[in-house]
Amino acid sequence: MTTSLLTATGLRKIYSGTPALDGADFAIRAGETVAVMGPSGSGKSTLLHCLAGIVPPDEGTITYEGRELSAMSDGERSALRRSRFGFVFQFGQLVPELTCVENVALPLRLTGLGRREAERAARPWLERLEVDDVAHHRPGEISGGQGQRVAVARALATTPRVIFADEPTGALDSLNGERVMELLTAAARETSAAVVLVTHEARVAAYADREIVVRDGRTRSLEPAS
Amino acid sequence: MTLLQDLRMGLAFAFRGGKEGWTRTLLTAVGVGLGVALLLLTTAIPAALQARDQRGNDRSDLQPQQLKHATATSILVGNGDTTFGDDDIHGRLVRPEGAKATPPPGLDRYPRPGEMAVSPALADRLNDKDAGLLRDRLPYKITATIGDAGLAGGPAELAYYAGSDDLRYGTDSVHRIGGFGHDAVPGSLDPVLLLLVLIVFVALLMPVAVFVAAAVRFGGERRDRRLAALRLVGADAAMTRRIAAGEAAAGALLGLVFGTGFFLVGRQVAGGLTVLNVSVFPADLNPAPWLAALVAVAVPAAAVAVTLFALRNVVIEPLGVVRTAKPKRRRLWWRVLLPLAGLAALFPLIGKGDDGGDFNAYQVTTGVVLLLTGITALLPWLVEAVVARLGRGNRAPVSWQLAVRRLQLNSGSAARLVNGIAVAVAGAVALQMLFTGVEDDYTRQTGQDTEQAQMWVRASGAGGAHLDERLADTEGVRGTITLNRVSIALKARTEKSTTLTVGTCKALREVANLPSCTDGDIFYISGGYSDKYTKRITAPGSRVYLDPSYEFDKGKAVPWQMPRGARTATKKHAPNDMAREGVLATPAAARAPLASGTITAEAYVRTDPAVSDAADQVRTAAAAVDPLTTVMTLNSTEESNQFAGIRTGLLVGAVCVLLLIGASLLVGQLEQLRERRKLLSSLVAFGTKRSTLSLSVLWQTAIPVALGLTLATGTGVALGAVLLKMAATPVTVDWPAILTMAAAGGAVVAAVTLLSLPPLIRMMRAEGLRTE
Repeated sequence: MTTSLLTATGLRKIYSGTPALDGADFAIRAGETVAVMGPSGSGKSTLLHCLAGIVPPDEGTITYEGRELSAMSDGERSALRRSRFGFVFQFGQLVPELTCVENVALPLRLTGLGRREAERAARPWLERLEVDDVAHHRPGEISGGQGQRVAVARALATTPRVIFADEPTGALDSLNGERVMELLTAAARETSAAVVLVTHEARVAAYADREIVVRDGRTRSLEPAS
Repeated sequence: MTLLQDLRMGLAFAFRGGKEGWTRTLLTAVGVGLGVALLLLTTAIPAALQARDQRGNDRSDLQPQQLKHATATSILVGNGDTTFGDDDIHGRLVRPEGAKATPPPGLDRYPRPGEMAVSPALADRLNDKDAGLLRDRLPYKITATIGDAGLAGGPAELAYYAGSDDLRYGTDSVHRIGGFGHDAVPGSLDPVLLLLVLIVFVALLMPVAVFVAAAVRFGGERRDRRLAALRLVGADAAMTRRIAAGEAAAGALLGLVFGTGFFLVGRQVAGGLTVLNVSVFPADLNPAPWLAALVAVAVPAAAVAVTLFALRNVVIEPLGVVRTAKPKRRRLWWRVLLPLAGLAALFPLIGKGDDGGDFNAYQVTTGVVLLLTGITALLPWLVEAVVARLGRGNRAPVSWQLAVRRLQLNSGSAARLVNGIAVAVAGAVALQMLFTGVEDDYTRQTGQDTEQAQMWVRASGAGGAHLDERLADTEGVRGTITLNRVSIALKARTEKSTTLTVGTCKALREVANLPSCTDGDIFYISGGYSDKYTKRITAPGSRVYLDPSYEFDKGKAVPWQMPRGARTATKKHAPNDMAREGVLATPAAARAPLASGTITAEAYVRTDPAVSDAADQVRTAAAAVDPLTTVMTLNSTEESNQFAGIRTGLLVGAVCVLLLIGASLLVGQLEQLRERRKLLSSLVAFGTKRSTLSLSVLWQTAIPVALGLTLATGTGVALGAVLLKMAATPVTVDWPAILTMAAAGGAVVAAVTLLSLPPLIRMMRAEGLRTE
């Protein structure tokens, strides 16, 4: 049996007296794509934020490659997110004043790479995501679908071990959404990256190897779709 | 929809747009309110100054003619002004001579002998632990409080009226008046001082105008998104502009209400404040009605105009706001025209200060406003031009790249934030140059020798005899030189007289060059304007009168036989720069005058710098000799009161303006951060260090600030040079002082950046990613 890359057990998180997570469990193996489904307000995004070390849970443990996230300092968690994790959100994630290639190069620059080297390394990802023609455009000058593909390219640029995608197609039409998902999952497979995919759309969840459902802050596994 | 309906809808959006709409309207209203309050305060200054002058005139006891005889309304007044520490105290000893004598303003009745009426501030000061010397100096029983009408200097003025039955008409420091108050003819300012006042007003009000313009654009990006939603439901471009105008007017109108409130509260608070020794009564701060009306009309109109101007480059489409993705390059030509037009307006006035002609106030104001407005026009262009050339380096840190790219995309917001500071600094630099340039014209070299003596004391009457002895025993006094003086004339009643000065040989040598001297010698000083008269007085056997009578001043006219053998001495300036004329006598040669009761004693006092309150010790000792003793601290220079007043006004105003600009910067900065909250959170989510983002915010402010301050310094120096040439004064640049001005502007920005860091760090938390 393959060891889990990222595991969470008994997660609890309360916002303003309301439990967003109430004893949630989760595990994902390298190269696996897991869809986290559930209705609005069920705690999907909170689970993703906890798994990624963005917010600490009030209770429960999260381990990445055997290391407990809560034992890490804020700096160590940030370094982990920089080098091992990648992120795609629904919107508002691209820096509006940077060009697309600069946006994709940004995580590489944060690891200490010079501007030219980082942009050189970013170009293949833009080609891969079929947005190299807008490399020098700013986010405000491209379509939503192109922007989301740029965001995926940025998430992949550091060749992360886990990609966290929070409603990555939520703001796109079905055609664009499907294209983004195809490119995301294909690229993840090639790099053996695990993908935690938060969505409420069954159509998007279909790209996952298995699904879990979050309801009232608790998780429940579903059998993989055959 | 009609124009009115659109405007009304804008008003409704401002007040009924939910929490966001309210926040934006409140921010604008607070910003506009602060500006309005400062404008109202400025419009109230002339009335406050007038009220102050009026109270000063009403309580004045300086009258062109003294009464010769006591009447039912006459009052004897002695000058009891004194200084405690650095605080000046207005004091009068009074004795009503008739039953109908009207008390001075602020009092219902005259204090009886041994009693005094004090201002509330003096009452507090007398209760201070460290005011022992002051209590000794004013040993009267406090029986009344001087009302506001009697406090020319404002609520913080230290003042007293003490009753005395020792006041005698005809003594040196006592005069007789028929009542307090006189109608003063208002003096006019000389052209250069008027120029200074004009520039102070323009330099202080321009940043306020810039601030108000910035305040009405608070929350502009959110407003644009709301307008886009309106386009989606069918509003056309013109309608959205009218709705935006209505929204801006709503914020400005609420700002007027807030501003009036701030002003009224500020007016009350001002009553309890003393800034640079200036205090005002709340009731004095009454804006001129027409100026207040102008503010009420101009502010909402400016708000609408600024909003429409800001929207000219924004295309509001149904699916969002297109803020010109590729902004048009700013054009330089019309921006340069503004300062050039300003210079052109000022140019014809060059040299006018020389011939005593007045400067045309409108021309000066127009020129300065155009020059300073030029900064607000040139700065966006300069920021855009400079940042376009930045950020190309391979090794530039991410924080730098983020900041430069943000500025490249939208340098206008950053420039707008800095405009206020830049205009204030330019005005301050120009004023600094002008003040420094003309300072010498308004600062008189007194010629007083502060090395030889630090204080000068004069006491007339019986007390004078004990002055030397009393001062010698005073703590903090290292030495005194005492001289006794009296007027002498050949007739008992005369218009022509000279002075007899009696002192030891050592003391006389301080005021004249003597050939040789032993006790019993007598001299006359040659080289004075009354040489001939002095020679006649000192002629062998001449009979003279000590303290003769003049037309309006009855003297004792004590006859005295002038001793024989007067020798010639030459003039010398005493430590207080007074050059004596007349007759000098040693004590053995002037026993009769010394015993005549007509003598006024004068002492030059050397104080011990190690005793911090030596000056107050001397003043208290002198008051113990006679409360009407005159005490003067010697200074090598003396600044014109009007010049000092303008300088103080500038400093008070500059503090208010810098605080206002700092507040505006902070609101603007926080608003920009709020707009980027989600982005900041997502950047942190994928591992961006908080320090990188904080530094990027710092660069975003620092780059335009550095450019703004550079432009402001250049413009300020140019304006200062023109103003100096107008005042016909050589152009000199005091760089350390100018750099201090720029540094003060920089410090405000640094403080604002520091204050915005805690909210920035809060906004970088992952909670910003939550949408539910």
